[in-house]
Amino acid sequence: MAILTNYSNKSVLILDDMPEMRSSLRAQLSSLGCEKVTVSGNVKDALQHFTTTRFDVILCDYYLAGGTDGQQFLEYLRTRNIIGRGVVFIMITAEKNYESVVTAAECLPDDYLLKPFTAEVLKMRMERLLEKKDRLARVDQLQDKGDWNGVIASCNDILAAKDRYMVDVMRIKGNALLFAGQGAEAVEFYRQALTLRPMPWARLGLARAQQQQGDIKGSIETLEALIGDEPRLMAAYDLLGKLHLASGHTETALSILENAQTISPNSLARHRAIATVAEKKGDYARVEQALDQVVKKTRNSPLRETRDIAQLGKALTEIGESAKAVTLLEEARTNFKSDANDPLLAAVEAIAQHQAGNPEKAEAALARSMQGDVSKLPADIAMTIAKACLNTGKQTEAQSILKNLVQNNPESTGLHEEISSVLRDNGAGALSENLIKESIGEIIQLNNAAVLRAKAGELSIAAEMLTDAANRLPGNMQVVSNAAAALLFDVFNNGVDADKLRQAQSFQQAVQVQAPTHPKLAEIAELMNRIRQKYSAGKK
Amino acid sequence: MEFTELAALTIHDVKNRLAILAGRAEAKGDAETLHGALEAAATLTRLLVFYKAQKGALGVDIDAHVPAELFAELAAEIARQTSLTVKIDTDHAPTLWFYDEALIRMVLLNAIYNALRHARTTITLFAAQHGTNLLFEIRDDGPGFPPDMIDQPARMSALSREGTGLGLHLASQVAAFHHNQGQTGRIELKNADGAAFCLLLPQ
Repeated sequence: MAILTNYSNKSVLILDDMPEMRSSLRAQLSSLGCEKVTVSGNVKDALQHFTTTRFDVILCDYYLAGGTDGQQFLEYLRTRNIIGRGVVFIMITAEKNYESVVTAAECLPDDYLLKPFTAEVLKMRMERLLEKKDRLARVDQLQDKGDWNGVIASCNDILAAKDRYMVDVMRIKGNALLFAGQGAEAVEFYRQALTLRPMPWARLGLARAQQQQGDIKGSIETLEALIGDEPRLMAAYDLLGKLHLASGHTETALSILENAQTISPNSLARHRAIATVAEKKGDYARVEQALDQVVKKTRNSPLRETRDIAQLGKALTEIGESAKAVTLLEEARTNFKSDANDPLLAAVEAIAQHQAGNPEKAEAALARSMQGDVSKLPADIAMTIAKACLNTGKQTEAQSILKNLVQNNPESTGLHEEISSVLRDNGAGALSENLIKESIGEIIQLNNAAVLRAKAGELSIAAEMLTDAANRLPGNMQVVSNAAAALLFDVFNNGVDADKLRQAQSFQQAVQVQAPTHPKLAEIAELMNRIRQKYSAGKK
Repeated sequence: MEFTELAALTIHDVKNRLAILAGRAEAKGDAETLHGALEAAATLTRLLVFYKAQKGALGVDIDAHVPAELFAELAAEIARQTSLTVKIDTDHAPTLWFYDEALIRMVLLNAIYNALRHARTTITLFAAQHGTNLLFEIRDDGPGFPPDMIDQPARMSALSREGTGLGLHLASQVAAFHHNQGQTGRIELKNADGAAFCLLLPQ
């Protein structure tokens, strides 16, 4: 070949548990002119290198000693954003691997390389993949930033060229449409892609788009047909399970996930999904069974998840094994620095300590769980902290957390029921009716007050009131969509303000993603149009 | 542990050792040993795929790939193992096609190893769009296939000059895994100025 790729400036990581393979790979790389090569024999050591080195290419063997494999390592790197999409990840295996069907698209390696291979083949693969990363550099950057509208535009540019990256880019574009909340466009896009060929990823994408559009029945049908044709496609089971779970069919959801588990028995993700459904069902013995295995497998590995420990601790407490729960939770807290102040773990420990008859320790754990701003935490964590408060007699704190939860999730009757039942369980049943009513009443008052201000011509003040509320209650679609509309109305009347427009757009996108069929969206789009017309006309 | 299970694990292990051996041979520029190690590993790969297909556990993962790149890679791999001339002709190949790259690579590599055994001077890797199919063709300039093979290409037989016949048997099985809109992949054996192994895959 005339053009020799310069590898000397590319930084490569080799991760393989077999010393001979490591040195063989290193020799192959050095014969290609790679000079910056780091070699690692286990995940722990490899992760250490990421703190000091930015790698361009990772060559990882699928089979790794110590209870982990290359796929788990990759998922860890990707889900924690340790590597961006621009990094080439090549999985080395001794035989044809089926993980590609089993794994979620965002956690796929860039390529599989089957042993044995020559240095020449390694070189060609690396060249090919680096070339692809070059071509997709902009798309990758925008994806890393989460700028989905930018990703879509950038994908369209590449798709117009109809080159070899066409199908890769189609995959990215479909995903970006979903993340941007453009469900209707996504449905159309995937249907179009499927006319090319019934590609499994496009069928799965269609199901996700249908779900986003609220077409649950259609989504379930798409997934059932897909699983019929591609019984190894784990992501299809996961989504199908989620759909049934959301519709309250926990029994069906559980049986779907258990079915998936028989096909991919070693997947941690599957155990975790089963635990989540079983928890919803209130089947804590099943939660304990699923997570006990996950925790044992990942105990001393960097792939351990704090959430597993918290969920297992909760399940143990629920089945009356609070002493075991306390041991598990205290061990996690003392052995892992990152767990010491985890709010969920602390809240679960407070409940376990309380049940185990250690009131002081319960008090201390609860204090740890409330160190930060509880209102910024995900609903399930806030809920657990509220429970811990009620358990330990802290009614006022519990009420304030629960009120915020109701206001942030005004439509979620499931959550409201959960709140009622938690209050009942803790002898505060009378409170529950009022708490929910009052919390929602407050929001209605706020909205009304903002409308009055707007009618009085104080558009900026109305927009500001709603923006504050929307930032405090990002899950309340009524507040967030009203904030977007108020900001746009303000801009339309009082002139362009880049900050306000950006804020309005981000609220609009949030509503599109969380509630794509929200009635206010049409009004927001119309206002956007009017602003565009008014101010672009002025420029001429 | 069942014999089959143990055999599968052993194959895996032996392949790893062959990979290390191949690495050493390549580093020394020892083409003959490299060829021996890679060909032996390829035989084990086929055996493992046969076992999985029989168990019904062979996942087929069809996705978009670049046929010209596959041939470029195979040619580069072969060039290090032989003194014969390896030609590539992909001028009329489509940019992208849909297939399971690992399985198709295994089938083509087997055909190439066969061609290497019988070619006088040259083997040609030819790919082109052929109607609604993609045609992968491996040609050599040797004496051609024996007539009974052309009649019944996928028949498994006792060990002969052509091996066990597992390679061709798997080739037709892998081809058949590739189907779309009523069309199914297939293999053909031809004699022209030598032997030609043809693999046809629908879009």
